[in-house]
Amino acid sequence: MNEQNGDEHQKEDRRWFLASGLIVAGVLAFSLTVGLVILPIAQAPNAGIDAWTAICRAMGLSPGTPAQPQPPSNARAAPVSQVRWTPKTLRTLAVADPRPGAALAEAVCSSCHGEQGMTISDDFPRLAGQSPQAIYKQLSDYKTGARYHPQMTPVAQQLTTDQLAEVAAYFGGLHEDIALGQAQVLAEDDMARLILRGDPARRLPPCESCHARGAGGPPEAPVIAGQNAAYLARQLHAYKAGARRNDVYRRMRDIAGKLSDDEITRLSETYQGTY
Amino acid sequence: MTGVREEDVVRSELRWGLVTIAAVSVIMIAIIFAGVAMHINPPSNIERVNPQDLHLSAEFTEANLGTRVEANGQITSRIVATQFAFVPRCVVLPADTPVTMRFSSPDVIHGILVSGTNVNTMVVPGYVAQVHTVFRKTGDLLMPCHEFCGLGHSEMLATVRVVPKADFKPGPDGRVACANQ
Amino acid sequence: MPTNRRLIISHFAVAFAAFLAACALGVWQMWVRSPLSGPQDIPERYYQSVTAHGVSMAFVLTTFFIMGFGYYVAETALKRPLPGRNWARAAFGIGVAGVLMAVVSIASGKASVLYTFYPPLTATVWFYVGLVLVVAASWIWCVLMLVAMGSFKKANPGVPVPLAMYGTVANAVMWLWTTVGVSAEIVFQIIPAVMGWTQTIDVGLSRTLFSWTLHAIVYFWLIPAYIAFYTMAPRAAGGRLYSETMGRLTFVLFLLYSLPVGMHHLFMDPEHSTGFKFVQMSLTALVSVPTLLTVFTISASMELAGRLRGGKGLFGWIRALPWERPMVLATGLAFFMLWFGGGGGLINMSYGMNAMIHNTSWVTAHFHLIFGGTVVIMYFAIIYEIWPSLTHRQFRSVPLQRLQLWLWAIGMMVMTIPWHVLGLQGQWRRVASFDYSDPRIAAWGPWVVVSLVGGIVLLVSAVLFVWNLIPRRYSPALEPKPGYAFALAAHPPHRVPGVLNGFVLWNILVAVLMAAAYGFPILQFFLGDSPQAVIHPVTGG
Repeated sequence: MNEQNGDEHQKEDRRWFLASGLIVAGVLAFSLTVGLVILPIAQAPNAGIDAWTAICRAMGLSPGTPAQPQPPSNARAAPVSQVRWTPKTLRTLAVADPRPGAALAEAVCSSCHGEQGMTISDDFPRLAGQSPQAIYKQLSDYKTGARYHPQMTPVAQQLTTDQLAEVAAYFGGLHEDIALGQAQVLAEDDMARLILRGDPARRLPPCESCHARGAGGPPEAPVIAGQNAAYLARQLHAYKAGARRNDVYRRMRDIAGKLSDDEITRLSETYQGTY
Repeated sequence: MTGVREEDVVRSELRWGLVTIAAVSVIMIAIIFAGVAMHINPPSNIERVNPQDLHLSAEFTEANLGTRVEANGQITSRIVATQFAFVPRCVVLPADTPVTMRFSSPDVIHGILVSGTNVNTMVVPGYVAQVHTVFRKTGDLLMPCHEFCGLGHSEMLATVRVVPKADFKPGPDGRVACANQ
Repeated sequence: MPTNRRLIISHFAVAFAAFLAACALGVWQMWVRSPLSGPQDIPERYYQSVTAHGVSMAFVLTTFFIMGFGYYVAETALKRPLPGRNWARAAFGIGVAGVLMAVVSIASGKASVLYTFYPPLTATVWFYVGLVLVVAASWIWCVLMLVAMGSFKKANPGVPVPLAMYGTVANAVMWLWTTVGVSAEIVFQIIPAVMGWTQTIDVGLSRTLFSWTLHAIVYFWLIPAYIAFYTMAPRAAGGRLYSETMGRLTFVLFLLYSLPVGMHHLFMDPEHSTGFKFVQMSLTALVSVPTLLTVFTISASMELAGRLRGGKGLFGWIRALPWERPMVLATGLAFFMLWFGGGGGLINMSYGMNAMIHNTSWVTAHFHLIFGGTVVIMYFAIIYEIWPSLTHRQFRSVPLQRLQLWLWAIGMMVMTIPWHVLGLQGQWRRVASFDYSDPRIAAWGPWVVVSLVGGIVLLVSAVLFVWNLIPRRYSPALEPKPGYAFALAAHPPHRVPGVLNGFVLWNILVAVLMAAAYGFPILQFFLGDSPQAVIHPVTGG
């Protein structure tokens, strides 16, 4: 009696085993066939392609969808900046030695940008504590002509890429009390709103969403807290007029274009703070 | 005692199982039908591009963004999604015409939807996201970034201006831009 | 019985502490998003809160509840002491350490990357290490569940594993498969990038690995609720489970079909082809089957109970059910919310309709309703059921439990219905502030305020839940109850087919399904040069 039960149990088990396996296999076969073969072949005529191309698109081996023609493109590249944030560039910046950078800064930069990059002149930006990526990008852009300044352009053109990285590392490593980004930005009501909350009605993101340290914005976003107000205002006006165009994909041109002149002045003063 | 016989249980469960399978099959058939008859597919386009090279590329260079009528008559709108704006922030497209929208990102994940339509796609750095559609209603449509892309995500919106076919007038280079840009 | 009461209670304490904090944060979030101005509403705080809310609800509440409940079921269903007790304690310690790391990272503003932490946005490494520790703790739990079932089967050859334990172990097996995706993403992609060993991340691959986990994890959360449907609700209603085989089939079908469907979270992504999206959508259609089977079987079980209590006619049995019992009430409320949440799921699954609602408030509404609603209300009911046997005290006030459950269901409907409507109108997600000066967006304002009211009701319910559990509400029990009596089947099987008493076949089939559904989609990132994106550390000032 038990053996009979045992046999029946085994048969019942095997039936379940086979049925389950077959059902799952069937479902899988149906899904794969319809998704990777039948649908693309049915859709191919609308795209004007043959069945094989349609299947390749449905599998992901070529771009496009099986149901629509791919649009052509003929355009000429006209980049506004040649800087590429590749692993190689980032690693170069990460390992650059600040000591030759310090020597270069002393010899070349300090006459305008001040001792250790802390000028008090309105004509030149402060550099102490600036993000190395930001400095590297601007120097590279001066070097390639993406940005022009009668004094900076020849300076940058005489430096090698490694030297640009070293100078950037040097200034980026200066963290004295009066370096950029060290003090809190104290803002009045409507400036605070722009800086911390942006303006949804004008689709303006908060300044801090890119310019705060660790905000997670573009790598080249400069630290602006503590920067001299006249310099900031000049740059914002230059972006607004389109005279400065090395901001990739118009990020600052778009933003500056939405700010009023009064806002530009007051924002710049707020960011300079009490220096 | 428990109120129901075992064979009744099995029979009713099997019957319900058939109802379930029928319901699921109806849904699948509807989707397959939409795929075959109306060419509805989810937005897929495995076209790879290095995000760090996007601004150096020919297709997504700044001057080539926006709507353009290509030589073969296809209407394509190219838009870059970047922290924290769309470039251009307004595009013009004609109604009742098949159009293609192509997006890419040089930085982080973004996403778009065009409100009032079923145009919806993620914009993943490394890929060109592509949507084929036909706009039926005219007007200024909201196109927000709908995926968290950083602290400026809430302010990231563009406008899709759908104009009647007759008002869609490309220039000699095939380009159309929004008027007050 | 159970012998590990303190350990189990500790798990629940961690789970519901995180839950309560997250509910409060949720209300604040809705407040600052609404047209009403709220305090501290800057994006930095908002996304910090969203991260904390998501991590607490999706990773802490769930994992710790499921671990605690699993230990409880292992002892009471198998009527054996839990094996590896020291391992269980170690797992709790590891899990708590992980939670603390994550909480401190988020609180210090160095991890505002949301609970889905989509790279290339990256947080401090401690955030990810914390999450990995929580997952590691849960893996220890999975092994203990498998060992417990294994030793039961050895000691009782041919005896069917009790259904509650079978479901728990199905969940454990599924969780082991599920966590492969996110663990690989964190360990092999994100942590190396955050530590500076690499500078870039393959975003397509990371999204794909995350999607592997992202759908199955919701079934990890859901299966305990279904265990309650099958093994607790019928008895609470005074009847029996209509069909135990259906219960086993349900758990097995979840194990099979929750995993190879993650790509439906990537329907709108460019990096996957239409073909594989179709395959995974087709499999997603099948994951609705166990729910549909459950709806029938549990309704039939309830009907048995209702008719036993004298209910007559087509619907008379519904009125005859003992709705004053929290488990019965919760089951009814859960099923009510399941229609909406499950229906929404069917819409999300079909990619034509998905395109209308992807990344809109509809999605937020869907998962709050189906998880926050159907599943979490059953978590409450389970706790109310087992608390006496854990604390050796009886509740003094059952009406307050019922009130808490009603408030939860009502609050959830009031909160999520407006979100569904707004999602259809195109309101998008993860926004810290809307431009209410735009008339199109201003029209959404009233709906947003309504859902805020729903959220406040939920917070009240959450506070009441914790209040209901506090010991001073109890009176001492007469004597400790001996274990827990799970529901019996109407026709308890003397033997079940081998495939419904173990998982060997299902593991094989899962491997086959995953290979077919995810094999090439993942492999494609390793053929040729897959594009990489620079990381963007969101680590605060």
